[in-house]
Amino acid sequence: MTMAMEAEIQELVTPGQVLGKASQLKAGKGAYVSTENGTIYASLTGFRSLIPPPSDSVDQRSTVEVTGHKAHGAVPQPGSIVFARVTKVMARTASADIVCVDSKSVREKFTGIIRQQDVRATEIDKVDMHLSFRPGDIIRALVLSLGDARAYYLSTAKNELGVVSAESAAGGTMVPISWTEMQCPLTGQVEPRKVAKVEA
Amino acid sequence: MAGKSGSTPTTYSPSPATRKKKRIPIADADWVRPDNRGFYQCRPAYLRTGAVSTAAGSAYAEFGNTKVIVSVFGPRESKKAMMYSDTGRLNCNVSYTSFATPNRGQGSDNKELSSMLHKALEGVIILESFPKTCVDVFALVLESGGSDLPVVISCASLALADAGILLYDLVASVSVSCIGKNFVIDPISEEESYQDGSLMITCMPSRNEVTQLIVSGGWSTPKINEAMELCLGACSKLGEVMRSCLKDVVTDLKE
Repeated sequence: MTMAMEAEIQELVTPGQVLGKASQLKAGKGAYVSTENGTIYASLTGFRSLIPPPSDSVDQRSTVEVTGHKAHGAVPQPGSIVFARVTKVMARTASADIVCVDSKSVREKFTGIIRQQDVRATEIDKVDMHLSFRPGDIIRALVLSLGDARAYYLSTAKNELGVVSAESAAGGTMVPISWTEMQCPLTGQVEPRKVAKVEA
Repeated sequence: MAGKSGSTPTTYSPSPATRKKKRIPIADADWVRPDNRGFYQCRPAYLRTGAVSTAAGSAYAEFGNTKVIVSVFGPRESKKAMMYSDTGRLNCNVSYTSFATPNRGQGSDNKELSSMLHKALEGVIILESFPKTCVDVFALVLESGGSDLPVVISCASLALADAGILLYDLVASVSVSCIGKNFVIDPISEEESYQDGSLMITCMPSRNEVTQLIVSGGWSTPKINEAMELCLGACSKLGEVMRSCLKDVVTDLKE
């Protein structure tokens, strides 16, 4: 059994190659099912691998995936956690350039917008954007939606979301001292931020 | 460059079954093509991926004297002026270098070829996989030696696969010229200049679907059928060459 599995993992496929029938397999990453004939085709170049179904699931089909070679660069999806650098802070919104999606860095630039009502979970009408972010801050945020034509909508309305790294006016990396404040280790100056709870 | 291909088959020709059906009219049998090819013989093809290091994916194709380079960028953010869309967008651009043709001129963008490349490729990309973003395909014809569009399309398909863009299948494209009573496959510039009609097919070889068909000149239905069969046969052969090119890159990386 293990021998058969290993042989299968090594099989190299290219887009359009037949991987199996939808009646016997499920299409995973890098594969798709044709609606016309129920055949599963590869959509990427890579190695074909079979993932057995979880033992408790009703569906006893294995999942077939194509992985191991190049996939396109990371693209933000609603629900993914991103890291972004704040570029502009306005009265109602803040713009940020997304630099990381989940654990992957993005190859191309994507812009995100944090609206006033998405900064924190409580007292959302009393948020002052300028007391939450500064240009240059690195924030952790959740992608709410694909947003409008310009940018993705981001949210920091969770304890673990918000500013994770910020530089003070003196140039030091600031240390969080409360949910709303960060302090510069060089000058002792306290600046307001929407601070993220970073797990150690 | 053609010598470096190693184990990859460098030529492709339509399947023997299709070839048997054709009879070259005796009156024209002594007529030879300028490059001494058979009427149903394609030019040797050399394909390589990863030609441009700064692009997300790229490919270089050389079919006889026709040399093209295609780079793919993205998925990246659409231009600001564009409207929101749920699916991804495809942006194509075909340009010629100033030294691509024998008459040295200005390197230029070719709007017509760009839109034809877009048509040929849009059916093969799974655009739903990258909403709101766009993929840019830039093709540069280094040397124009005839059948430029089919070479650009096939090369672009390789570049997309190299970029890791989700595809329904690869696309292979082949054209046929009608000269008098004869068909010549994969015509060179000289043949294209005195052709009576031409037919180009872009198809997904594994799914057996056509994404684009361009016919120009006067054709009768039986002749179109015959030419299409010829093209489809050649497309499936070319598809095999393209697949082995993609596979070679991965095996080379592993070693």
